[in-house]
Amino acid sequence: MAPFLSGISIVCFAASYAVALACEASRLVFRSGVRGAVMVTFAAAGLVAHTLFLGWRAVSSGTVPLSSPFDWYLLAAWLLAAGYLWLTIANPRTPVGLFLLPVVLALVGAASLASREPFLHDAASRFWGRIHGGFHLVWSVSVVLGAIAGLMWLIQAGRLARKQAPLQGFRMPSLERLAHVTARTPAIAAWAAAAGFVSGIVLNAVNRRRGLIETVPWTDPVVLRMAAVVAWLIVADWMTSTARRRPDGGRTTAWLALVSLAVMAGSILWGLFGSTQHGRPAAAAPAMRVEATP
Amino acid sequence: MTLALVGGTHRTVPLALRERLAFTADQAAEALERFRDRFPGREGVLLSTCNRVEFYAAGEADAAAPPHDELVSFLAECRGLDAQALAPVLGRERDEAVARHLFGVAAGLDSMVLGEPQILAQVKQAWALAQDSRTTGPLTAGMFQAALRTAKRVAAETALGRERVSIPSVAVADFASGVFERFDDKRVLLVGAGKMAAETLRYLREAGARDVVIVNRTASRATDLASRLDARPAEFADLERELVAAELVVSTTGSSEPVVSLDLFDRAAAHREGRPLVVLDLAVPRDFDPAIGTRPGVWLYCVDDLAAACEANRRRRQREIPQALAIVEEETRRFMGDVHHRTTAPVIEQLRAGWNETGSAELERLFRRLPHLAAGDREEIRQAFERYAAKMLHPPLASLRNESHAGPPHGLLDALRRLFNLQE
Repeated sequence: MAPFLSGISIVCFAASYAVALACEASRLVFRSGVRGAVMVTFAAAGLVAHTLFLGWRAVSSGTVPLSSPFDWYLLAAWLLAAGYLWLTIANPRTPVGLFLLPVVLALVGAASLASREPFLHDAASRFWGRIHGGFHLVWSVSVVLGAIAGLMWLIQAGRLARKQAPLQGFRMPSLERLAHVTARTPAIAAWAAAAGFVSGIVLNAVNRRRGLIETVPWTDPVVLRMAAVVAWLIVADWMTSTARRRPDGGRTTAWLALVSLAVMAGSILWGLFGSTQHGRPAAAAPAMRVEATP
Repeated sequence: MTLALVGGTHRTVPLALRERLAFTADQAAEALERFRDRFPGREGVLLSTCNRVEFYAAGEADAAAPPHDELVSFLAECRGLDAQALAPVLGRERDEAVARHLFGVAAGLDSMVLGEPQILAQVKQAWALAQDSRTTGPLTAGMFQAALRTAKRVAAETALGRERVSIPSVAVADFASGVFERFDDKRVLLVGAGKMAAETLRYLREAGARDVVIVNRTASRATDLASRLDARPAEFADLERELVAAELVVSTTGSSEPVVSLDLFDRAAAHREGRPLVVLDLAVPRDFDPAIGTRPGVWLYCVDDLAAACEANRRRRQREIPQALAIVEEETRRFMGDVHHRTTAPVIEQLRAGWNETGSAELERLFRRLPHLAAGDREEIRQAFERYAAKMLHPPLASLRNESHAGPPHGLLDALRRLFNLQE
């Protein structure tokens, strides 16, 4: 069993998701009676391989899913892939994969560029590290889902404004349903990001006090950018709640969700390529692993 | 084996004659009973809808399907019409063309509205009525089962029946449903009492709409329509207030001026708290000022908008025709192959019987010579003989089946009869 599990690589499930995405894209070109089954089969196979990969990594290296930037991206991709599978089975005629799967593949791609080195903390920091990483995962997934719903809202509204019948194989959910998602995700994202930020501050303070690991300076770019992201998400949530009672509130909310995604993407790119002390292990620190965020 | 069809559709029979030719369910049952008495041993199915009257007949070699002229006379007699007047407008098909025609009809390819699904239910009803009247048999059973299979395949493998082509259905399914997820919590306002309003409301009811208000300049008409449509009437003077409460408006008045001006709408919109509004303005001239459509949160569709969407859907249906016809052709070949194969049944039966008879005689002789064989051994030997016979017969039977796909395998049947000395 171990050779089989250790043979599963990122390419295995990324390829499965890519095939599922190609099937989704083919909806626009031709009709097929078996495409739905093929799509779900590949997505499910990808998700199983993805799960086994994360599980094997946890067992073989003793890490837990949020232990490194690499694991964090893969767990975020796993959540979105599971969401895609569920939505596709529940709404087989909605091409949600055209929007979700590119994000899943982008996250897998980001994982391949991200560090696989576990964040090193002492045991006392593990609790706060887990909370910090978990909240970051929640707000990131919320922002992605909100942005996808927002993009679908704009496409559907454009079609309705142009007074065109739906395209073959490209039937969007109703504006009402999409607006429901875009109106709720900003609040989840804002609260989770704020909680993630605060828990990060606590984690840093704990690390500083114990001095067991190199801490993040309070003026580190990652602290500043996260503060900016949290501020934006709180503003976006406030704007969303005030826009809901306006006739053009759906459009405003959709755009706000897309801007939030752009802010998050910028933050991730900064994390990947920018300079920061965040998550850098101290050379002499004991090899204890804890969950955190990239 | 013969198949025959006489019938007329909206394309071939004038409406006045079609009305007289049409059968009610009772009349159709009566006609089938007459058919059974007049053409014993034959099979018959009568398909009578608003747009077509078709009689499908079938018979085996010893009781072939009646000639077309006799079927025309039969239909004319049943409806009290002059056969001479009817004959020129009724189409006639024979054998394979009958199956092809029925498969196309069941798939909606011959319907007035291309791909409409109601015809399939009507074909099923016609078949059920013929079964009840005991005028069906193996040929019509095979043909109608194949027709239903063809219709299902066309529905599943093409988009022929998927795109909506009537204005009310497009208005509800392609536009109103694009804005709203559900209708059971929405207020529907009907302005005017036009026929299109009732038709649109039927689709909205199917989509779940429950809360319906009707306003009309003539209050009594609003009350009448409300009682018929299970809705609530309201005063025309309350239109502005009703616009505030509604999420979906269907307007069909006969007014020559807009019923809802931009000013009136803006006054109502000020109290709507930003809720989206779908307006289906099905009146000509339009009831809603077109400028209302530029207001945020308002989705305004007039008849021309919806007609353009219907036309686009119709064109999409047209594009599916070649694929649907290919399915019809494939199923026709498959059905005719089965039918032709049926004609080989007597020869196959004789062939099997001959082999079994010879095998049994040889076995008896063998068992007499070997009396010490146990019962189990005898059974083993008997089964071995049967397997041998089956294997020897398999190649000629497979050849017969393959040959049947191209038509009745007369040459092979004749050769088998001569080679194995079988009787006609």
